[in-house]
Amino acid sequence: MKSSRLALIGLVAATALALSGCAPAEPDLTTGGGDTAAGDDTSLADIEAAGEIVVGTEGTYRPFTFHEGGAGDLTGYDVEIIEAVADKLGVEVKFEETQWDAIFAGLDADRFDLIANQVSINDEREAKYDFSDPYTVSPGVVIVAKDNSDISSLADLKGKTTAQSLSSNWYTLAEENGATVETVEGWAQSIALLEQGRIDATLNDKLTYLDYVAVKPDSADLVKIAAETDDVSRNAFVVAKGSTTLVDAINEALDELRADGTLAEISEKYFGADVSQ
Amino acid sequence: MQSTWDLLVSSLWPLVSGALVGTIPLALASFALGLVIALGIALARLSRNRVLSGAARVYISLVRGTPLLVQLFVIFYGLPSIGIKIDPWPSAIIAFAINVGGYAAEVIRAAILSVPKGQWEAGHTIGMSRAQTLRRIILPQAARVSVPPLSNTFISLVKDTSLASLILVTELFKQAQKIAAFSSEFLLLYAEAAVIYWVICLALSSGQNVLEKRLDRYVAH
Repeated sequence: MKSSRLALIGLVAATALALSGCAPAEPDLTTGGGDTAAGDDTSLADIEAAGEIVVGTEGTYRPFTFHEGGAGDLTGYDVEIIEAVADKLGVEVKFEETQWDAIFAGLDADRFDLIANQVSINDEREAKYDFSDPYTVSPGVVIVAKDNSDISSLADLKGKTTAQSLSSNWYTLAEENGATVETVEGWAQSIALLEQGRIDATLNDKLTYLDYVAVKPDSADLVKIAAETDDVSRNAFVVAKGSTTLVDAINEALDELRADGTLAEISEKYFGADVSQ
Repeated sequence: MQSTWDLLVSSLWPLVSGALVGTIPLALASFALGLVIALGIALARLSRNRVLSGAARVYISLVRGTPLLVQLFVIFYGLPSIGIKIDPWPSAIIAFAINVGGYAAEVIRAAILSVPKGQWEAGHTIGMSRAQTLRRIILPQAARVSVPPLSNTFISLVKDTSLASLILVTELFKQAQKIAAFSSEFLLLYAEAAVIYWVICLALSSGQNVLEKRLDRYVAH
């Protein structure tokens, strides 16, 4: 118990440090946050000319994008997949780590070429950005405290409090089901608030939850899955609207990686099952 | 799809109300509490009692030597793991007040020391105790001296309250983040929030001028 408390304090301190390192997204006033001009699509050519693709990711979302052992190298399911894709494209990957709330602002402001962070495909996002083919397919879950018997479906969220990242699809889903949503920076805060009894539930990817309780068995005594969402979420890489050549190249690379078993292999490594289709 | 102008207008009230019910009360409450702490710490630091002045030094060093964001997170996300669970608003007020206490203590100490020694002696000559001299002669003059630096502290605090958005307090910046997240108009909303912070701070600066003039009457020229 003591060690888990220390771990939590460490987690909090690390998160705090990470956050203080990357202050709230201040848009770059000199370049403006404009969209890529429609018309000539140089998205692929630009990356090839630069020899690198700049990828925005959280770095704090286990097992998708995180640091090995907490302070080691950036790794994770999304990280390995984009690295494999970049390898096929013949370019280097440069990761820029930022908090979730700032990720889309970063893409808008041209700070990244692409987001690799388990972004779910939805209508609003499709209106504003382009998506690759999905590389993860998984259901969402409602997570509650172990002793909570009030919530056994999404509909039971009505009038309850959840914690979600702003602009996440979980936020929208929780709100649609009548929950009062507290906004947090990411999964780490959501689960901390749930375990501290400050909220009733949180919605997230089933894979995130399973990984969390696997890494932190103490938590398996504190929280549980109360319900699964009906529709599965399909997660994909996000690029600026109109980056058709880049998306095509990525999809081609994903197809090859699917065919040669690389995607399944990475998936097995993190989840013990193939979640890539 | 809303036009930029429509979004600017429709988001104005949510942002202003975020300032009215979040930012401003949070800053006022934390500053008031922070000043009380600061006065106590400043007097402790000036005390001839070694233990008292040592404790005050440690407090000031801790507060100024650690980031405000870390202090907030320790109080809100950290303390529950040792059984102390404080709600978002009180957590924010406590963190900001502790922070202001550390910075303002040094301001008040310097202001007290800036009052010429002769003023103390004058108090003693007419039979006042140390405490009476402090309250009736020294503090009113020190107050005038400390207005500009304390105004700085307050203006910093107003902007620092945006950090409370990270521990579930809904204030101006959180409102801007919420609207930006759903409209994807980040530059517009953050710039709008910046302008509102600026307007609040302009009002505070003019308040500072008024206060300086009023307090001038306590100072021996």
